[in-house]
Amino acid sequence: MKIVVLLSAVPDTTVRVQLSPEGVPQLSEVPLVINPWDELALTRALELKEEAAGVVERVEVLHAGPAAHENVLRRALAMGADEAIRLDTSPQDATSAAAALAEWLKDHPAEIILAGIESSDYNGGATGMRVARRLGIRPVGGVTALQVEGETVLLTRELEGMREVLQVTVPLLAVVQKGIAREPRVPSMRGIMMARRKTITVVPVPAAEPWVRTSRYAMPPGKPPVKMIPAERAEEILELLEKEAKVIRFS
Amino acid sequence: MSFSRAIFLLLFLLTLAGLTWTFVRYCRYFRLLRPAFTVRKILWRLGHMLKVAVGQTKILQRPAVGLLHALLFWGFLVILAGTLEMVADGLTGAEKSFSSCGCYDLLTAVIDVMVPAIALITLIFLVRRNVVHVSRFEGPEMTARSHRDANLTLLLILLLMVTLMAMDLFYVAGGGEKGDYPFARWLAGILSLPERNEGFPSAYRASWWIHIVTVFVFANYLPYSKHFHVYLSLPNVFLERPWPWGHMPAMPEVTREVRAMLAGEAPESEAPGRFGILDVEDVNRKEYLEALTCTQCGRCTEVCPVHLTGGPLSPRKVMMSVRQRMDERGPALVRGDAPDDGRPLNGFHIPDEELWACTMCYACVRECPLSIRQPEVILGLRRYRVLEEGGAPPEWNNVYTNIENNGALWKMPAAERLAWTRGLVLRRDGEEIPLQVPVMAEKAARGEKPQYLLWTGSAAYDSRYRKVLQAFVKILAYLEVDYAVLGEEEISSGDLARRTGNEMLFVMQTLQNLELFRQYGITRILTCDPHVYNTFRNEYPDFGEMPEVIHHTRFLEEMMEAGRIVLPEGATGTSPVTYHDPCYLARINGEYAAPRRVLKGMGFTVREMPRHGAKALCCGGGGGQMFREKKDGGEIFVERAREALSTGAETLVTACPYCMTMLGDGIKYEHAEEKHVVRDIAEMVAETLGI
Repeated sequence: MKIVVLLSAVPDTTVRVQLSPEGVPQLSEVPLVINPWDELALTRALELKEEAAGVVERVEVLHAGPAAHENVLRRALAMGADEAIRLDTSPQDATSAAAALAEWLKDHPAEIILAGIESSDYNGGATGMRVARRLGIRPVGGVTALQVEGETVLLTRELEGMREVLQVTVPLLAVVQKGIAREPRVPSMRGIMMARRKTITVVPVPAAEPWVRTSRYAMPPGKPPVKMIPAERAEEILELLEKEAKVIRFS
Repeated sequence: MSFSRAIFLLLFLLTLAGLTWTFVRYCRYFRLLRPAFTVRKILWRLGHMLKVAVGQTKILQRPAVGLLHALLFWGFLVILAGTLEMVADGLTGAEKSFSSCGCYDLLTAVIDVMVPAIALITLIFLVRRNVVHVSRFEGPEMTARSHRDANLTLLLILLLMVTLMAMDLFYVAGGGEKGDYPFARWLAGILSLPERNEGFPSAYRASWWIHIVTVFVFANYLPYSKHFHVYLSLPNVFLERPWPWGHMPAMPEVTREVRAMLAGEAPESEAPGRFGILDVEDVNRKEYLEALTCTQCGRCTEVCPVHLTGGPLSPRKVMMSVRQRMDERGPALVRGDAPDDGRPLNGFHIPDEELWACTMCYACVRECPLSIRQPEVILGLRRYRVLEEGGAPPEWNNVYTNIENNGALWKMPAAERLAWTRGLVLRRDGEEIPLQVPVMAEKAARGEKPQYLLWTGSAAYDSRYRKVLQAFVKILAYLEVDYAVLGEEEISSGDLARRTGNEMLFVMQTLQNLELFRQYGITRILTCDPHVYNTFRNEYPDFGEMPEVIHHTRFLEEMMEAGRIVLPEGATGTSPVTYHDPCYLARINGEYAAPRRVLKGMGFTVREMPRHGAKALCCGGGGGQMFREKKDGGEIFVERAREALSTGAETLVTACPYCMTMLGDGIKYEHAEEKHVVRDIAEMVAETLGI
């Protein structure tokens, strides 16, 4: 059985991305990391390979992005992925990304495809499902736990106040969310070294027109100033709310 | 050849054969292991050996019991001359072979007096061990066998001494004329032995034989007992590591790999062998020598902060495990056929919770009379788990990810590095002057080269610690010191990465930092963090040219000596303070005096805690512990905070960001935060100066 994890590269989550005056995100200097949900998906895939020895034989990661994203694929290899494939394109939206990914997967099928529920940069949440649609395989969304039992896969979904367990036969695509693995796996020195000795498969993909164009980005308004009132003058609050903030009125 | 000479020769050859067999056995084990360093500076080594091993300086750190041991050791050295004479006598059939030597009377007299002294000391040791029950002789690793071993050794020594006393007594009583035996004469007088007795020469011979046979047995027993140090203490001290305490050995194969990685070069085609210690074949020769030298005295464990607070670590056990595992696995390794028996040193003999718990405070190393460095073995075990398996505790993995992604121990953006510098003012002559903290890149852009780089460390993100940095830059501004900070360019020093076993990350940080120092032409670095100070001072020079590094306590002291920081008039009369020595400043780098002088110079009286200076208890935050959630007891910070509170001082002064956080938590834990505060020495100075 082979698991393919769809990987997205996102800006490091501690970086505050700035916008240019024209409203374009400034990303050239920003360090990229594996999308946190994809990282958890990959961690779970690697766990399955170890747990169900012989059942899951191979874990691959698949990414559609430019050469500048390769450090993210190296990290995935360092975590323990057997192979990394980079589709050499820079998709501008989820649809064109899904098209490229599905094109590769059609010719290189996998029993289980895992995708994070969304990417932490644009939070579109569309890629995984679109890949499944294009491949015509079973999609399951919002998966929080995944077990392999022979040719079937047990998938758990958290519902309001209860838990749904699905038994699905392969091939399938699971869109996973937090909980799928406890902590993202941290590569060891050995893993990083071995990753440096592996090659990343690069596949040329014709540029695709995006389906959606973003007209502009805007920063949320800054927080208004906060006025601190000492505890001993707490009674002033009412007056301030009435006269300054004008949100209440004493008739 | 007389019959007795033949018997002696036979026994002597058997002894030599036994010792040779043992020697070859251990040599084979040593040959399996990699060397730890090249032995150079022979003269220094001899001096060190004379001081520590022969001079017994470290065991005398505890004067009473230390003196007993020192007397026993020195006595043994003298008695050794007598034993050599007995061997010469036995081989040649002569009597008192050395008696032609000019100082023979003195030699025999000294031996004769030392022997009853040693017998008495041995009796005291037996009583201490079996009646008094000294707590450090106990512990889960101290099995019945360990106790038997100890008692058997002591009884053998006692037998050796009793037979020697008997020899001298019967020699004197039998009218022997060679040498001087004051104690034997006195004893003969007390016992009022008859002048001449036919039986005395035979009794002398019998004692002689019992003694020499015991010597032969003892000599062959020692290498298999915990008392191997009788042979190994001198070589072990002679083979002291050529690096200071705070320095962990570099891993050249990791350095090579990281250099290639940073330079964007292709890796070496072949991946290097195992990193760190999985099993006993991965320890180095020095570490194994230490394991054999360890006498299980337990001084290390007795001062280990983890052990003291009920945690799972015993440094003695770590060393004992290495020896035990080699006994278990060595023969198969020598045969070249050592299967995986599921009992590796790392994980089985030394479980995870033990190797993660160490605070790397070096209390054990300071205490060990034989200069064993337990933390290096513990680090080797951590290195395997982290570098080979990525198996560090999750909290540490998070820290590693943060260091990799945003250069800090916490998940904080580089843009926030300078948040602590906003809105600072310097008070001078009643005026408030806005204070701008200079940034290196801006200074460099103007073509300026400041005299000092101020290294702030990740603690610049900590809301409490920011106040320390603020106080220190105020002092720098007050003194008009030409300095700058790196600001957004600063990344972790890698100290935490190194001490938790992530050598790769440490080397990455080190190489990047050295490059930054080179680019800016930095010659002197100031830091308030003893951990940064230690790694910069002791470890960075392995990787390239390193500027001078100065801890702020020393800097403040120098400024005071130079008369640039002066106690303002009317600033005296402050309440007493207590001072907590940070391990990496004090015990490990020897800086005890500067902080105390600064406090005194600022008009404070320091009330010392029971454990201070070299004996100071760790705050519990080092070695990665500040980031670890403990599931296994070991609340060191509470123990230390209690000790500080016991002095009655309201202010607990320290000089380390980890100590500040840990002790601050400890004081809260004790519900004492209303009356007691933890402060950095820089804050004490800034406040006294009223800036």
